Amino acid sequence: MSSKVKLSKEAGQKADEIIAFHGYSSLDELVEDLINKEYDKIKSGDNKEELANKLSGLGYIS
Amino acid sequence: MKRRDFIQGGGALLAAAPLMNFGAGRPLGKKMLVLGFDGMDPGIVNRLMKQGQLPNMQRLGEQGTFTMMRSTIPPQSPVAWGTFISGADPGVHGIFDFIHRDPETYIPMFSQSATLPSRWLVKLGQYQIPLKPGKVVLKRESPAFWDYLEKHDIPATLVKLPTNYPPSASGQRTLSGMGTPDILGGYGVYSLFTSDEQESQSELSAANIYYAYIDENHVMEGQIEGPNNDLLKEAEPVVVPFKVYVDNRHRTARIDIQGKEILIAEKEYSDWVEIDFTLISGLASITGMVKFYLMEMGERFRLYISPTHISPREPAVPISTPAGYSRELADRVGLFHTIGLPADTKALSNGTFSMENYITQSLSVFAESCRMLDYELQRFSGQKEGLLFFYFSSLDQGQHMFWALNDKEHPYYHPEESRKFGFITDEMYRKFDRVLGKALKSIDPGIPVLAMSDHGFGPFRREVNINNWLAQEGYLKLTSGQAADEVSLIEYADWPASKAYAMGLNGLYLNLKGREREGCVAPGDKRALLEKIKAGLEAIVDPKNGQKVISCAYISEDNFSKDFIDRAPDIILGFDRGYRISDNSALGTLSPEMIMDNLGWWSGDHCVDPKKVPASFIANFKIQNPVPNMQDVAPTILKYFGIATPAPMTGKALI
Repeated sequence: MSSKVKLSKEAGQKADEIIAFHGYSSLDELVEDLINKEYDKIKSGDNKEELANKLSGLGYIS
Repeated sequence: MKRRDFIQGGGALLAAAPLMNFGAGRPLGKKMLVLGFDGMDPGIVNRLMKQGQLPNMQRLGEQGTFTMMRSTIPPQSPVAWGTFISGADPGVHGIFDFIHRDPETYIPMFSQSATLPSRWLVKLGQYQIPLKPGKVVLKRESPAFWDYLEKHDIPATLVKLPTNYPPSASGQRTLSGMGTPDILGGYGVYSLFTSDEQESQSELSAANIYYAYIDENHVMEGQIEGPNNDLLKEAEPVVVPFKVYVDNRHRTARIDIQGKEILIAEKEYSDWVEIDFTLISGLASITGMVKFYLMEMGERFRLYISPTHISPREPAVPISTPAGYSRELADRVGLFHTIGLPADTKALSNGTFSMENYITQSLSVFAESCRMLDYELQRFSGQKEGLLFFYFSSLDQGQHMFWALNDKEHPYYHPEESRKFGFITDEMYRKFDRVLGKALKSIDPGIPVLAMSDHGFGPFRREVNINNWLAQEGYLKLTSGQAADEVSLIEYADWPASKAYAMGLNGLYLNLKGREREGCVAPGDKRALLEKIKAGLEAIVDPKNGQKVISCAYISEDNFSKDFIDRAPDIILGFDRGYRISDNSALGTLSPEMIMDNLGWWSGDHCVDPKKVPASFIANFKIQNPVPNMQDVAPTILKYFGIATPAPMTGKALI
């Protein structure tokens, strides 16, 4: 997969603001972080069992 | 007076006699004691008082007030104690259930705190080192009432306080209670090593079950699983090995772990054993602590290991303010349970514990809390002014597990167990009466004292899957699979076609456009849909007995302040007496049937219509409102200390 990403001017400006706000060192780092977060969201369905196990310690859920 | 008359009587003030009207003519300031007895039911208190079994509560009430107090919608502990802390309704403090959901993913999550991982990592060999540590954040919003005391230089100590993990920043002495996790970040996962092959193969929730292989030298080897080592590039749990030398002849065992030797006899608990989970040898470790319980020896070997608690001496995450307060307590009274709900109800529900085992553990938690209270009362006696709040969890956890012992209508009623242990609930109330009596003896009689709970209790006989009902009524659609297959909404919901879903113990959410990731209900259609669903919910009838299942479905926007209402379910399910949400429904899964018998020891509950489970209010002072509300307590405390009710609070002072 190509590692180059083409952004519109508006998206680029937003990216610059996010980089400045959160202190990312580069656009690459921002993009990588966002991809990881999104990936975690997709995969989090797999963690449902683990989550249920954690919540079940409450006692309210068996 | 029958329970129903008592509750429907509008909260009659039960006691009169000598007044302690500290609102008039009494100097403001000085000292106040508040005892939080989670789950103390005013109906049961009333019955036992009339039988003369609670002399100290009776005397307290006769000096001032004994009445029922309105709990929160819903009457769940994190919600109600959040309201106690903030003096405001849940819309202000933002906790609406034990379990919230992420509208982005539809996944259930803890409501009280969140763990934010570190984003700043340096890769070093097999490790990735965080330059900034990740952190745990308290999701309860709005200031705590003790912040206002602090601003007026009034000291406060609040021990085992629910809905305050991690503790909010404060100069006051606070120790977090309910909501405090185990070292793994959950609400408590125990371990069992058993030589019973069949038992070792069982898959139980909140439990790690292992086969105990005892070799020819009578040695068993095991390991305790610790937290994930997130410092590794490929995170894996840190494990600590241990060996058990089994001496069947003397019915004892020696456990060797990290250089410590622990001797225990059969049916005995060890003291707390601190364990270091090493992340990087010599550089980074996390301290936890466990108790070993040698349940059986001989023909069958069974070793229970408690969930790994955060050590109050070396807390891996903050559990007190100031940070050294938990260490001070541990130094004075010994190590203590730090998990928010300390008695292991899961071990009883799973069949690992017998009822006798559970009662033994519960009483040990209770005794430990009493030692902590004794220490704090002694300290309080030496203070010139200030507030002491102390919380007990035992009555709540006990009633959850003991209810069926005294409920012949309960599907899990066991006559034999009832004959042996049916006394225990009343005995717990008597124990708490003695706690109160001891506290009253140790302080000046002029000090205002309040013994209160957050909700009462009722039976949990039938469990209801609201997601089944939503699917049956066409509000919830599946992409494939059927309810009977116990499918999860996270995997099988057809979100673009689904209008509503249930999550948490009392929550029902609309699939709202602009809020949920694949929301389909237009904001303009929201109100009409809520009213239609409310009417439908309140019309549900149990086919088994013709009883109504939900006495009131509360529309959130009609009942809460707006500050954090975006986190709230759109409807709070007020179950009628005997009913509660099913486990599956709470986690967003369907069930083979919509309403089923509850066949487990978790047989009493309070996650119902708050009108069915009012809280208790017993004080040696008079109040102006015959039926106080949970949110009125904080303004009352502040007023006693001469502080006007601050703006974020929605409650009203009762004096």
